[in-house]
Amino acid sequence: MNPHAKLICTVSLIMGTSITISSNHWILAWTGLEINTLAIIPLISKSHHPRAIEATIKYFLTQSTASALILFSSMTNAWSTGQWDITQLNHPTSCLMLTMAIAIKLGLVPFHFWFPEVLQGSSLITALLLSTLMKLPPITLLLLTSQSLNTTLLTLLAISSTLIGGWMGLNQTQTRKILAFSSISHLGWMIMIISYNPQLTILTFILYTIMTSTVFLSLAQIKVLKLSTLLISWTKTPMLNATVMLTLLSLAGLPPLTGFMPKWLIIQELTKQEMTPMATIITMLSLLSLFFYLRLAYHSTITLPPNSSNHMKLWRTNKTLNTPTAILTALSTTLLPLSPLIITML
Amino acid sequence: MALAVTLLNSTCLRSRCYRHKVLQPLLGTVCVDSVSKCSSSYRRPGSQPEVIPSWRNIDFSFKKGFNALKTQLGLLKKETEDHLVGPDGHSFSQYLLEQTKVMWEFRTQEDLNKWVISSDVEIGGKSEVYLKLGRNNQGAMLYGILNTEVPRDGETKYSGYCSMRAKPAVGSFARKKYYDWSNFNCLYLRVRGDGRAWMVNIYTDPYFSHQKDDLYNYFMFTRGGPYWEEIKIPFSKFFLSSRGRVQDDQHPIWLDKISTLGFTLGDKVDGPFQLEIDFIGLLNDRAHTEEFAYETYERNPRI
Repeated sequence: MNPHAKLICTVSLIMGTSITISSNHWILAWTGLEINTLAIIPLISKSHHPRAIEATIKYFLTQSTASALILFSSMTNAWSTGQWDITQLNHPTSCLMLTMAIAIKLGLVPFHFWFPEVLQGSSLITALLLSTLMKLPPITLLLLTSQSLNTTLLTLLAISSTLIGGWMGLNQTQTRKILAFSSISHLGWMIMIISYNPQLTILTFILYTIMTSTVFLSLAQIKVLKLSTLLISWTKTPMLNATVMLTLLSLAGLPPLTGFMPKWLIIQELTKQEMTPMATIITMLSLLSLFFYLRLAYHSTITLPPNSSNHMKLWRTNKTLNTPTAILTALSTTLLPLSPLIITML
Repeated sequence: MALAVTLLNSTCLRSRCYRHKVLQPLLGTVCVDSVSKCSSSYRRPGSQPEVIPSWRNIDFSFKKGFNALKTQLGLLKKETEDHLVGPDGHSFSQYLLEQTKVMWEFRTQEDLNKWVISSDVEIGGKSEVYLKLGRNNQGAMLYGILNTEVPRDGETKYSGYCSMRAKPAVGSFARKKYYDWSNFNCLYLRVRGDGRAWMVNIYTDPYFSHQKDDLYNYFMFTRGGPYWEEIKIPFSKFFLSSRGRVQDDQHPIWLDKISTLGFTLGDKVDGPFQLEIDFIGLLNDRAHTEEFAYETYERNPRI
């Protein structure tokens, strides 16, 4: 990509995110969201492939609709209460519309249909940005308004996201779609706890970002777009194959890996809030995603697939030394013993 | 009261012979009866047939609807069970380890019903195309006569094509289903042709209508001998075309969302043609390392 265009896109992404996170006025928050949408569009459509263009159009349409809904909800609130403060969203219709708009932005069920297709159409690094950086502004808005949003609706969105994320991820063969459904499932966990303990949402989001970034960067290094390529990469980069498997299991929430921490703390908080049935349901539903991660790990490490590969560039990795991937892998697998420290820091 | 009835009856009787200029329009709705209907149902030769109101064609019973719903729910149940088993209803290990797969084979009439044949008759040409089961029900025979005579409508310049295309896979409630061929890199066909050159078309059914004419094509050259031949066409060779025009911006085909496969004959030679197909399958050729056959150099190098 043209370096100037790349610079403008990168700076706009950072600026848009910063504007939304730091804003107190709804219009400024909306501006940041729109800047983000516009800045990532050239990145998604960089390879002029019809599927990339399709992903770009889908992303633009859904995000613009959601931004318009956010603006409309803030305007309705301003009409009835006379102020544009983000934390003072009091009008019930505004709260409902904002919840729906943020659900569209994040890709929560039932507005999740665009997310796997958009991720499938973009490159691995762009998919990483879409899963992590582009989720930060909407989650921030949700955190700021969480005390006035309808808890029942949020719980419903959370449970359905965990269910659909686990169910649809079961038979995926493309790695980006697998990660899209895992993202939907994790967002369900984040939304579940946002009304009771927003700090846990922040913690879940940070840990989810670390684990997802690890997976995406590792897959980008060995250029893995489908499962068969992942499974035969053990001959070329055996260590990376093993660490990818461990990180996927961490995403699934298996102790003693890092991914267990947010799930444990959320279940504990839900039980404290007398929501034990909800905690049970959401735990049982995340067994679905655990099932397909375990199945992947079993088949890749124990049932050895064919040795030879006809993927020419499999052994030519991007960089020989990949420091961010190494650091992120360490963080995404070994942070569980530090949970007392993290809990006190919340 | 009796007077009114007699009056109405008399107008009805009169309408048999002639139409009363003033009274009939006023009382037309009142005095329509079966007698006047019979008399007015006579049609002069050359006149338009009687228009049957569309509501007469509606079947108001729910039986067909219930049966259709039952069928679709059965399909949905089967899809859910297949989803639990693995991709496409087969186990996960089968997906991971498979190197060959037969997509379409022609053994029964049902297999033939999964394909649609067409020719230039749809634009006014004169080619003929037929599809039937081959000898001993071992294969399909696509045969016909190609005619390159251009239809005389003033705007068509070329004519003479015949084609056979697979029907897209359909799930429960008529939802589109796509094939996932990402595990394979070659198309494997067992055919017996007549020496003519065919074009193989793959359609990926894009989401937006701007790209609905996008098709990936490659050629299949048949030998024509009495022996069956096995043709392997790597997917890296397929080029992109839209409405028959090869596109400038080429890219390899993405195999994770395939809708249909088709064969077209349009080699500008008048005369009969015949293609027998035993089966169409997929192959993961581990010796084939080419990723894309066209424009692998950087088209806009940074200076």
